[in-house]
Amino acid sequence: MMIKYIDWKVTIPRIVAAVPIAILVFIPVFSTSRDTLSIIILSGVWVIAAMGFAMILRTGQFSMGQAAFMAIGGYASAILTVKMGWSFWPSFFMAGVISGIIALIIGSVVLRVGNIYFSIITLSFGEIVRILAQNLEGITHGARGLIPPSPEPIVLGSFEINFDASVVPYYYFMILLVAITSLVFWQINRSRLGGTFFSLAANQILAEHQGIYLMKYRVIAFTVAGIFTGFAGAFYAHFLEIITPYMLGLWESIQIMIMSIVGGVSSLVAGPLVGAVLLKVLSVYLSRLPVYGIHALLFGGAVVLVLVFLPKGTGLIDLWKKFWRKVFNEPEWYEIPSIDE
Amino acid sequence: MSFLELTNVTKQFGRLSAIEDINLSVNQGEVLGIVGPNGSGKSTLINVMTSYYRPTSGSIYFKGRKISGLRPDKIAALGIARTFQSNILFEGATVLESVMVSAYLQYKTNNLQSFLRTKAYRDEYEKIVGKVLDLLKMLELFNDTFLPASGLSHGYQRMLGIAIALASGPKVLLLDEPTTGMNHEEAMFVVENIRKINETGVTVILIEHNMKVLLDLATRVAVLNFGIKIAEGKPKEVMNKREVIEAYLGTETI
Repeated sequence: MMIKYIDWKVTIPRIVAAVPIAILVFIPVFSTSRDTLSIIILSGVWVIAAMGFAMILRTGQFSMGQAAFMAIGGYASAILTVKMGWSFWPSFFMAGVISGIIALIIGSVVLRVGNIYFSIITLSFGEIVRILAQNLEGITHGARGLIPPSPEPIVLGSFEINFDASVVPYYYFMILLVAITSLVFWQINRSRLGGTFFSLAANQILAEHQGIYLMKYRVIAFTVAGIFTGFAGAFYAHFLEIITPYMLGLWESIQIMIMSIVGGVSSLVAGPLVGAVLLKVLSVYLSRLPVYGIHALLFGGAVVLVLVFLPKGTGLIDLWKKFWRKVFNEPEWYEIPSIDE
Repeated sequence: MSFLELTNVTKQFGRLSAIEDINLSVNQGEVLGIVGPNGSGKSTLINVMTSYYRPTSGSIYFKGRKISGLRPDKIAALGIARTFQSNILFEGATVLESVMVSAYLQYKTNNLQSFLRTKAYRDEYEKIVGKVLDLLKMLELFNDTFLPASGLSHGYQRMLGIAIALASGPKVLLLDEPTTGMNHEEAMFVVENIRKINETGVTVILIEHNMKVLLDLATRVAVLNFGIKIAEGKPKEVMNKREVIEAYLGTETI
């Protein structure tokens, strides 16, 4: 019989980490301010995109076009609802599917090249998507963009969830979306896939000679990231009730990248989550100051600080691990499992 | 056709032939030593056999199936594993993680099963952890299981390289100078282990500079010089051939 025991070195950090998550979940109980909730809802969108970036980076590829998949998801859902007259829920689902299929097709061609070449190609892919959105007037309304409707109310007996009345339903929808994404990514990370992804970045040649087919796993990572980034994009479009070619371009791709790196790509879930929430919330409040472009300075400053003081793929999340290592007086090499392990 | 066969294999880099017109057959269960002076194409031979390079011409057959031109992962999947001349490791991984990742080919469950953590996957995972720990015990890496691989000393990193290659459960093991930079005792430890591995039915192809190791282990030896096979046969006999002595050992005799 297995004797179950509680490893406090794992459990205590988890309990402490659960507190802010619990607070996040219950915020609407204390405040239904549209302003505050919107900021958290929007940072959720970037959390998902940043997780996708981190997953691709896990396989050793540096994608500079993740915002394009948000745009694809957003436009897919917007076109389906506005042009084809679909209702929100099926078109939201299709947004992820379409984004995933495009990631699969693009990925199986583009992932053959490595390193900087992949970055350049994904960067151009992002620009291609933007230019297409701008010029396919008939489908995308060009620069004016599309105005996707808010989700239809969900009626459960006498109880009705109305997305037009307040942002609280959006809030919980977002939390659910982030939770599902985290769960999938967490599960991928601790399954054999996680180790395989890691091995490709850690030593591609050695991994290949151990029987791991490079392309297969890169495409899996790229596609899974594409699917969830597509969902995030569709949510973004429907929440803001607009999608234009200018909303999701190169600067947004760079933001996604910076959020991941600042949070720390050593963990697939917790790092991007911390990075995206922190940077997005800070940048929203900072951009209210009467200084032009200060949020860009925040992103630039944060990434420089992290690269200098926390190199080699570590980020803010590793400070957390380091802190608990100090608390339990563990040697440096002993890895305390992070929240997502 | 023999177990593993190379027919007229040539690999050119530009106009330089690293190996030229190599014919070599390997029998199942033997330890084949490959020797030659520096730059004679020994490592290129292994690199061509595992598709690190594609041969310029000629073909390689494994169990009657042509394997030259296949992807490296396909060749590994057929049961041909290799070590590298330098200490190539998974950066940032511990010893256990490195070997667990390398046991990729031992899984029969697919990715979806591993994602969903089905019972079949968990059982298999436990079994493979057991196998990997046994392997680490055999190669005396057990005490370092949870240490980062990059922190090991050179000798242990060489052993880890062998552990990584063995983790895939190969039928043929290609060892590229497993005892470089080792003292006599360490080298003898490697010899003992290669013998143990060979006794479990793994065919071993061994590139080696250390004559003691080679003569201890090899059942057959092939000698390369400037990319051309100049001799092949029993170790003691080959080592006494005139052309081998001239090419490889100078004018001195062993």
